[in-house]
Amino acid sequence: MIKKPTSAMLAGLLAATAISGVPAMAQETTASAMCSVFGEAPQLADRVASGDLPPVEQRLPKEPLVIRAAEIGTYGGTLVDSWGGGNLADQRHFGYEPLVRWSVDGSEVVPAIAKGWEISEDATRYTFFLREGMKWSDGHPFTADDILYWWDRVENNPKIMTGGPRGEFAVDGEFPAVTKVDDFTVRFEWTKPNGLFLQHMAGPYGQRVVQFPAHYMERFDIDANPEGVAELMQAAGTTNYASWWQGNVGSYNDPAQFNDPDRPSVHGWIATDTILGKERITFVRNPYYFAVDADCQQLPYIDNRTWMHTSDAEVTLLQVIQGNITISPRNISIPQNRAVFFDNQDAGGYRLVNATSCDYNTAVLNFSVNHTDPVRAEVFQSKDFRVGVSHAINRQEIIDTVYLGQGEPFQPAPLPNSPFYNEAMAKNYTEFDLDQANQYLDRILPRNENGVRVGPDGEPFRFTVDINADFKPDTVDAFQLIERTWQQVGLDVTIRYHANELFGNFRSAPDRDAVVWVGENGCGQLPLLNLDRFMNHYGYWSKGNWDGWAAWDTLRLNPGATLADGVEPVTPPENIQRLYELRSIIPTRVGEEQEALMKEFTDLHAEEFLSIGLATPAGFYRSVSNDLRNVPEEFIEGWLYPGPAPSNFATYYFAQ
Amino acid sequence: MLSFVIRRTFYAIPALIAVSFISFMVIALPPGDFVDRLAQERAALGDTMTATEIQSLRAAYGLDRPVLTQYWTWISGIVLRGDFGYSFSWNLPVSEVIWPRIGLTVVLSVASLLFIWVVAIPIGIYSAVRRYSVGDYVFTFIGFLGLAIPNFLLALAVMYVAFTVFGQHVGGLFSPQYVEAPWSWGKVMDLFAHLWLPMIVLGTAGTANVIRVIRANLIDEVRKPYVTAARAKGMVETRLLLKYPVRHALNPFVSSQNDIFVDIISGGTIVAIVMGLQTTGPLLLDALRTQDMNMAASFILMLSVLVVLGTLLSDLVLGWLDPRIRYQQG
Repeated sequence: MIKKPTSAMLAGLLAATAISGVPAMAQETTASAMCSVFGEAPQLADRVASGDLPPVEQRLPKEPLVIRAAEIGTYGGTLVDSWGGGNLADQRHFGYEPLVRWSVDGSEVVPAIAKGWEISEDATRYTFFLREGMKWSDGHPFTADDILYWWDRVENNPKIMTGGPRGEFAVDGEFPAVTKVDDFTVRFEWTKPNGLFLQHMAGPYGQRVVQFPAHYMERFDIDANPEGVAELMQAAGTTNYASWWQGNVGSYNDPAQFNDPDRPSVHGWIATDTILGKERITFVRNPYYFAVDADCQQLPYIDNRTWMHTSDAEVTLLQVIQGNITISPRNISIPQNRAVFFDNQDAGGYRLVNATSCDYNTAVLNFSVNHTDPVRAEVFQSKDFRVGVSHAINRQEIIDTVYLGQGEPFQPAPLPNSPFYNEAMAKNYTEFDLDQANQYLDRILPRNENGVRVGPDGEPFRFTVDINADFKPDTVDAFQLIERTWQQVGLDVTIRYHANELFGNFRSAPDRDAVVWVGENGCGQLPLLNLDRFMNHYGYWSKGNWDGWAAWDTLRLNPGATLADGVEPVTPPENIQRLYELRSIIPTRVGEEQEALMKEFTDLHAEEFLSIGLATPAGFYRSVSNDLRNVPEEFIEGWLYPGPAPSNFATYYFAQ
Repeated sequence: MLSFVIRRTFYAIPALIAVSFISFMVIALPPGDFVDRLAQERAALGDTMTATEIQSLRAAYGLDRPVLTQYWTWISGIVLRGDFGYSFSWNLPVSEVIWPRIGLTVVLSVASLLFIWVVAIPIGIYSAVRRYSVGDYVFTFIGFLGLAIPNFLLALAVMYVAFTVFGQHVGGLFSPQYVEAPWSWGKVMDLFAHLWLPMIVLGTAGTANVIRVIRANLIDEVRKPYVTAARAKGMVETRLLLKYPVRHALNPFVSSQNDIFVDIISGGTIVAIVMGLQTTGPLLLDALRTQDMNMAASFILMLSVLVVLGTLLSDLVLGWLDPRIRYQQG
């Protein structure tokens, strides 16, 4: 569970404000002062004895990261995961070793590869201090040059990132100047304050900063090594450098990223073979991993990480209950499977560990407020309509039957454990009340003499809701119940359930009425990084179905922008204009000002009630092998907090 | 005979061109493309792809070009260089993904075919000869059950029983230590230890089918006068049965095996998914679902070639068996 706001949390939250100097944190205690002798895994000691490896003191940085886990562990064992093939790094299970990371409880950002940082008073300048003596997994020093290489030769290389750097590095459209202060100090600088940079660096999109060992990557750089790259591309039978790079080198989320066993990394375990097309792969301990436990023993404790390919969720489930997978993956660890997991605990030799979801809602329903049909646009823009619709949802019944009694009625809003929790935004109109629903609906959709609800044009009003039935099957069950109660208040609705492959087309069809998706990143500080979702904006994948308003906002920020075909900008009402403005402003503010703006943002949302939610997701868990230790009492699941990875797999160990 | 073969091969070429073109177009037909699927898959994880990421990916895969250009790039690669193109979702050349799986698929399919023949042919003969006996009813009943139960359901049931009752490791064709190991005697033995389960599951429906075909044909044959004549001449019953009516009864069964190659490569997709087998069926399904153009189209092309080959082969066998067919060919 993410803690209620504490002083430490606020310190993290306000990291961008007045922190001058490195914040004092437990992990950051210098190890060299405490340790004169370092421990290491037995097989590494053997390799040192045979002259194959330098001694552990020379492999660790001068000040290694000290990770204090509940217990001091013992070396050995193999942690087995399942894997869908292709891309290995769902960062939630592997690959999370960023410059700075989320603390285990998600309340603050703590040092990782960077031993500390300094943020200027006005939050325009972020300086990160690296660990002197830290090494890549091939023993080559890790320095500021590696980070500069990433920024100059990868992120900003139009031959690789043909569309430019990712937006997480920008503030208000401006990308930072990245400079090397000395070998172990890197600075990111903008002309405007950046209130969210540290949190972004701790999330999934920060990982790429430390993924490119300059000494190794130069051979794949078409400018540094034109002949070599030409040869490699010819061998691969391709002429397009960007696609070759992506398919053979790769950044975070490219399957190629871990396919080259020779590519040095900073992770706790490293590849010994290619991975693409394999059924079962094993990574071994990185002898240069930069962290130690409280007794100065080099981490990780576990020798190997293995992934077994499972193509089907039922097969994965069977493998888990047979005890073949150490920690069950997220897609099968759902309330509906709990009984199966529970019954096979003894046979499979595992226990169940509860997992808190960072999702703020099981399903978020958004109406097409700028519908091409003016009648629908008018109805969907009416708050009365949305309130009526919301009151006609029996959330408790859905929770009891679909979610097995887990969770509480909730609108799309920051979760109670977030400092941005706003009770009105979360709880308004959640009670099931058909009378009230009828009253609200009668204002915009009066009944005609036959008792049929008619729109402002006097014609019977009907609408459809599009749902991806494969993505979250619980949504299907929930909307079957909702359809029934909506019909009780005279709404003529058709719920359309689509297969995953086809949902995309309906989601983006110009005449869609309403679309359902899950609400993500609602816990702790994450809503701050996730303002887009509250504006029904999902990145390119979907601009949501407020096309006209979104177009207006696009033009507001960039009057010369080209809009998608068939989209006309629609000027939103004043409050909603302000919401769009706040979305742009909040990331450029820090501290109390930022908090105040967030309050304004959630208050306006509570007042306008734009999106309809069902319930908080609850009842999740993971199966964990009985002998696996140092596992937190409760996992946190999320994306921007890529749980459970921040719980430090390097400190997990198998009891003998 | 030679001209017959040449003529047949020649006819196959336009058919294959048409099949490759139509299948490529059909795969491209649904709105959206591989990158859209990928973006949606990432969204389901919580990730967001930016517009520029999507555009550059689309350009990198050549999906921003007209579908006819894409088709030409793909087919010319196959014809000119034997290159089936790149699988988007596997990030590997298509041939590198498909070939390693074909070996296992052939082993599994041949094993289940042998299982079908070994079990079904004697039972079919027995059922026909001892028509309406208790044994016939029992086998008929089991046969209909085998036909009626969907394979994947049987697979789930068998896996559940194997796991709960016998505590056997199920799923996959190898024990963990052999999955990526090079071939060795131990690995072969391990394969056989895992093979029987999918073999039986894949074989049951086929077994029931073959039993019915042979029983029906043989019942027709044993009543014919030449059988009575042979028997009147004092021929031993078993020898008589196997030498004449059974051979006749097998003819329609043999000639119905013209889709044998297709069955061998693509058979049992759903069973393979359910049981986690490293065969080709699940690959094809995934490729179609994700619109992995090169992969799916190459696969369908390969299957089409196999249909053509199988038909050619069954024509040849029939022609060899029955001279009338051979001479009718114009």
